[in-house]
Amino acid sequence: MANTKIAIIAANGGLFDAYKVFNIASVGAASDAEVGIFFTFEGLNLIHKDAHKNLPLPEGKEHFQEGFKNANVPSIEELVSMAQEMNVKMIGCQMTMDVMNLDKDQFVDGVEVGGAASFIDFAKDADMTLTF
Amino acid sequence: MTIQANETLDATGLSCPMPIVKTKKAITNLGPGQVIEVQATDKGSTADMKAWADNTGHHYLGTTEEGDVLKHYIRKASESESKEETKHEDVVDLENLRQKVEGDEKISIIDVREPAEYAFGHIPGAKNIPLDQLEEHIDEMDPEEDLHIICRTGNRSDLAAQKLAEKGFKSVKNVVPGMSSWEGPTEKNQD
Repeated sequence: MANTKIAIIAANGGLFDAYKVFNIASVGAASDAEVGIFFTFEGLNLIHKDAHKNLPLPEGKEHFQEGFKNANVPSIEELVSMAQEMNVKMIGCQMTMDVMNLDKDQFVDGVEVGGAASFIDFAKDADMTLTF
Repeated sequence: MTIQANETLDATGLSCPMPIVKTKKAITNLGPGQVIEVQATDKGSTADMKAWADNTGHHYLGTTEEGDVLKHYIRKASESESKEETKHEDVVDLENLRQKVEGDEKISIIDVREPAEYAFGHIPGAKNIPLDQLEEHIDEMDPEEDLHIICRTGNRSDLAAQKLAEKGFKSVKNVVPGMSSWEGPTEKNQD
């Protein structure tokens, strides 16, 4: 899959959303694909230095916390650093950051900041585009 | 069945995507042609390993089960191997070899793949001498005999056939393409 490109939009900020995004991204990268994620609106939580360590479960689904633990699922923190190690490109949405009054320093290292055009530029020749 | 691997990776207790991610990291440090054993308890890992190997060009050999632990064997591919460069001139195709195997004639087959590849399926009666151990085991072969050299795609067996011809073996045939397309009988290692 060395010549495959996967473009992902992360627009939601819950724990479930984070797993969907980072599982697909890390396995994509492990399969030699080029992976890029555009974090927008609540998706920015997934790369926020503090928030990504403690993402909420959907209301009424809090009991899954234990399931994650029992299945020995890696933490989002681990998945984020793995994604970084495997050169997954992470783009934070500038416009949302302005709206939410967030600064680049508040995100995990390695996040680039850009607008929709940055994502479009990355995704224009992607083989897969996924939205979570 | 006992299988040799160059490297063992413990991914037991880990769930998706960790077995794949760890395998990816571990295989980077292996040399081309080397085999990694990945131990996992994630039940989805068998299907995942196969799919991942397909997509990355590595060679999924097979999986054994020991209690709850799945042991996956993957061989790291080298670039030259997928391209088939035959230089040894005396070749025999699989159809021809199959007729000989299924006929009455007794023939000698030398399988030069890694022991782990051989373990998961080889032609009955084939002798396993991995390419890199050919010289050490050269006395186990008869220079006067018709030898059929086989690997997965015909590349390693080509090198082995050239080496044997160079050492004075009279009749060495490279089997092309190799076990990757073999449809005749196979057997696995028995304990």
